[in-house]
Amino acid sequence: MLSRLTNRQRTTIWGLLLTVLVSGALSTLAGADYEKTARWKAWPSSRMPKPLEARPVTFPPYEIRTLANGLKVVVVTQHEQPAVSLRMIVRAGAANDPQGRAGLANMVASLLDQGTATRSAGDVAEAIDYIGGALGAGAGTDLSFVNAIVMKDNFADGLTLLSDVARTPAFAPQEIERQRDQVVSALGVNAGDPEWVADAVIDRLIYGFHPYGLPGAGTATSVAAITRDDIVAFHQRWYAPNNAILAIVGDLSLDEAFAGAERVFGGWARRDVPAVRASEAPDATRRVIVVDRPGAVQTEIRVGNVAIPRKHADYEALDLAVKVLGGEGANRIQRVLRSERGLTYGASADIQALKQTGGIVAETDTRSETTGEALRLVVDEFFRLQREPVFELELADAQAYLTGNFPLTIETPDAIALQVLNVLFYDLDVKDLETYRARVNAIKSDDIQRVARGYLKPARLSIVLVGDARLVEPQLKSVGFGEFERVPIERLDLTAPNFLRPATAGGAH
Amino acid sequence: MAVLVALSVVERATPVAAASRPPKFDYQLHTLDNGLSIILNEDHSTPIVHVSLWYHVGSKDEPRGRTGFAHLFEHMMFKGSKNVGPEQHTSLVASIGGQSNATTNEDTTIFWNTVPSQYLPMVLWMEADRMATLRVDDATFKQEREVVKEERRMRIDNQPYGRLQEILYDKAFEVHPYKHPVIGSMADLEAATVDNVREFYETYYVPGNATLTIVGDFDSKQALELITQYFGAIPKAARPLERKIPVEPQKTRERRETVYEEWPLPAVIVAYHITYDGDPDSYPLHIVSKVLSDGQSSRIYRRLVYQDRLALAAFGQANLIEHPNLFYAVAIVQPNATPESTTKALIEEIERLKTEPISARELQRAKNQFARDYIIGRESIQQKATHLAHAYVLHNGDVTTADGEFDIFQGITTADVQRVARRFFTPQNRFVLTILPKAAAPGGSPERPR
Repeated sequence: MLSRLTNRQRTTIWGLLLTVLVSGALSTLAGADYEKTARWKAWPSSRMPKPLEARPVTFPPYEIRTLANGLKVVVVTQHEQPAVSLRMIVRAGAANDPQGRAGLANMVASLLDQGTATRSAGDVAEAIDYIGGALGAGAGTDLSFVNAIVMKDNFADGLTLLSDVARTPAFAPQEIERQRDQVVSALGVNAGDPEWVADAVIDRLIYGFHPYGLPGAGTATSVAAITRDDIVAFHQRWYAPNNAILAIVGDLSLDEAFAGAERVFGGWARRDVPAVRASEAPDATRRVIVVDRPGAVQTEIRVGNVAIPRKHADYEALDLAVKVLGGEGANRIQRVLRSERGLTYGASADIQALKQTGGIVAETDTRSETTGEALRLVVDEFFRLQREPVFELELADAQAYLTGNFPLTIETPDAIALQVLNVLFYDLDVKDLETYRARVNAIKSDDIQRVARGYLKPARLSIVLVGDARLVEPQLKSVGFGEFERVPIERLDLTAPNFLRPATAGGAH
Repeated sequence: MAVLVALSVVERATPVAAASRPPKFDYQLHTLDNGLSIILNEDHSTPIVHVSLWYHVGSKDEPRGRTGFAHLFEHMMFKGSKNVGPEQHTSLVASIGGQSNATTNEDTTIFWNTVPSQYLPMVLWMEADRMATLRVDDATFKQEREVVKEERRMRIDNQPYGRLQEILYDKAFEVHPYKHPVIGSMADLEAATVDNVREFYETYYVPGNATLTIVGDFDSKQALELITQYFGAIPKAARPLERKIPVEPQKTRERRETVYEEWPLPAVIVAYHITYDGDPDSYPLHIVSKVLSDGQSSRIYRRLVYQDRLALAAFGQANLIEHPNLFYAVAIVQPNATPESTTKALIEEIERLKTEPISARELQRAKNQFARDYIIGRESIQQKATHLAHAYVLHNGDVTTADGEFDIFQGITTADVQRVARRFFTPQNRFVLTILPKAAAPGGSPERPR
């Protein structure tokens, strides 16, 4: 491994890189077999070449206007490829599902393109497919979306179609039943997918019965309970111009884009939209759930705790801390689990950026026999990040990744528009787009330790292990997790406090 | 460092009829004395540059008993070379804000980097270093093999439907190495040795078997000087590359098989042996894929998912790669439908392509959808590099196909589609696979999760 003491004295990133390289090369044991080949001997030792002169890079131009009815419209133009992408975001998602109706936002969104006031489901499909476009709708945690892509010649048709499906979906009873069938079947498939199960259980543990803790697609029971009235009411309540943002991106002029938006959305009446009341998530509580999947060859591991919402003064420092733990540019857990021990194909940690609150989740997978070891290592890294200051080199690497990565994040007009949408959606300052790099670089090691101490809860982590309990459980006590609850996968109930569906006489179905 | 499975093979070039034609590539081709092929395409819209190296070796170059080796070797390329330490390639690229990774498929192994453009020299230097002097030692090899075994467990063994393609290809092919999955079998991974790694490196990781593509914000003259400086010193291969890949025999009768897996819902697959990528008859097969399953107006979606509600999901596609492969249609069967009726519906939709021509409107729709794929598939510099390198490596150096296929698709007629359907979709070319939940097996355990 590389020598950190030397590296810490360096000041520039480039100096750091050179040192890493040289020390890495020197630390190799002399005389390995491959070093005896003619090929190796003939090849010169050399230092990494210096970079060329960098071109300045700034956030590309975009334009935001608000229609009289409150619809925010973002336009980014490009003239290389003859295509236009359309994205509409509605500020309501699964978190707005009423009590007992989990999956409602998802049902509403998935029905949007299944028929409108003037077109059947087949007509919508034929219209978008014939012009060589694509149309999709869905719901996330805090938002719903409708996206379309069309060739520039079909911009007007594409926009009209987008407006139709967003504003006047028919919600025909037979389409509701068809969609309900699809959702329930998909939930059945998901219930056997260890990744899906691990993600769903960690969310429930972290957020409890806060809406963020329940699965966005709902459960078989909640989806069965959804009525057409629920669907119509959700659409009526949340799909309003003053609760939406539209992005138009592509090969057209600003005037064409804004005139198009006005034409199809200008007549959409503003409505009163209820304020979303942020509910409280529970405090972090140590709890270990083993979801038993007999015969599994691998264990899906999730470790996390509740943290802070996206719009929070500490968000960026915490994001950087989590990058050191398990993100691009540093990733301690990947190094420990994969590079040093070969325990997994991948380990990472991420911060869940949400409106009302947020979470930190680390994830990995490993074979049944090494589950205890891998879990301990991940949890230890939560402790270490809180206990010890991060090395300057690690921090510099994580910062360099985030800031150096900037030109890669503005390559396509769609990527630019997404960043603008993101800022508008979370009610952040659009100036943040320009100052991002400066703000990241201003974060110090002390800031990282402060937020790590404030928001990581290593002694009160939620832990999920989806794997073969017979092999996994005996390993847990020796790594400090002797107390756990076992849930047979076929009895998993995400809405039950103990995650258990009552056993039935006939076995699981 | 991912296995690129057949399903996710890069969406390929396209036609148009009504839509405006996208711009053509503006590239240069060069070859170094040691045989390294070079494709350069400047694009100064953003100050970033993409560098890829395609080695023309994939899982179809693996003999029996060595399955998974090309991909395992791909992992070894991150274990350091003379001037770059183990795992440093990835961390160095990340620490300048860049991205890098690699992928292995049946035909090729692709290493790529996207970085702020001033770092072009660094990336070329690192790629040359590992082409010239890979570190290969036993301890590193054994540890990385464990990582790949975890990758197999994660992607294949621990996923519902994860083994679907593996089962299909194993049963559909007899001798051609497309029979085995890119990730390989656990037993073969376990049996691989560090000597195999060295031999593989000497055979396939040579300049004459590699194509370097650069797309983005760079100066071609300067790039060529850097390439000559870093890659020019790598010696030619000691011996010419000989490939002895068995040819799959013509099929003479339809086969049907049923297997049991622990999956929540049954799956049915109807597969046909077809041709290779670039064969004139391959282009109408892309149209067939569109007509059958691109969008909710496509035939398979409309019939099986929407109207008859037989399937939770269903699609059909031609896997057109370097050697003749499969067209296959898959349906995940809804709980209240039967595998038999679902299979019957899939076969009826495929037979219909033979008995009556597709409509002019369907053809136009498919062409418009191709134009869309073509256009939105060329937005990023990585996508552009992929199209150029793919054309060059898999079409025998004919990089003009990266643009030219657009016009080929323009000219396809409904009669072409019908003729090609009749050529390939014959009963003797057909393999029907039914995969049922284990609980449905004779003597199967009813306690298994459903």
